[in-house]
Amino acid sequence: MMTSNAIETTRFGNVEFSIEDVVMLSEGLLGFPGLTRFVVLQHKEGSPFSWFQSVESGDLAFLVIDPGHYVPDYAPEMPAEVASELEIDEESPRLVYTIVTIPKGQPNEMTLNLAGPILINVANRRAKQVVVEDSRYPIRYKVFSHEKQGHSAA
Amino acid sequence: MLVLTRKVNQSIVIGDGIEVVVLEVRGEQVRIGIKAPRDVAVHRKEIYEQIQEENVSAAGTDVGDVPE
Repeated sequence: MMTSNAIETTRFGNVEFSIEDVVMLSEGLLGFPGLTRFVVLQHKEGSPFSWFQSVESGDLAFLVIDPGHYVPDYAPEMPAEVASELEIDEESPRLVYTIVTIPKGQPNEMTLNLAGPILINVANRRAKQVVVEDSRYPIRYKVFSHEKQGHSAA
Repeated sequence: MLVLTRKVNQSIVIGDGIEVVVLEVRGEQVRIGIKAPRDVAVHRKEIYEQIQEENVSAAGTDVGDVPE
């Protein structure tokens, strides 16, 4: 039986969700400890963006996207301690989201946090914000300036 | 905070299975080696702080600013 719940959010009004859809981050996101339960909401039909909405705090939501949408070769090494914590092995279905920051009113200044992806074990809904120490993957990857610069960044 | 003085190649053991070794001291820089079990995360503190700050910025993103 699906168990239904709802939360009043600042961005999306009243959001209904089933317990089965809740993603659990045992440590929360860095800087937001204690907020451990989120649901993924699609931004708009057909949009590559989604929102990682807290179901414990209605005003807390993060814009997220599959990093492959803008960085097709994104493949950070996942630390062993993360795999064991989430009980992920090589065959586990998983999702990776990167958090998007858009400064107010400046969509062209959008950045992706490639150093702090959210890894989700789809089977048990456990997730973690992974710390990636790799100079190829900055905390503020500028999406649009990279496109304009073409190959110069390499 | 526990404060210990160590020389190059001397180490500190923390709990069961974590060892911190001073590898090299050169001017203001210290190279440190860390042996830890696979389930222990080891990171430079700055990167945690930077990701925290970025999460706080990201939490201010408006729905109306998302590209179509």
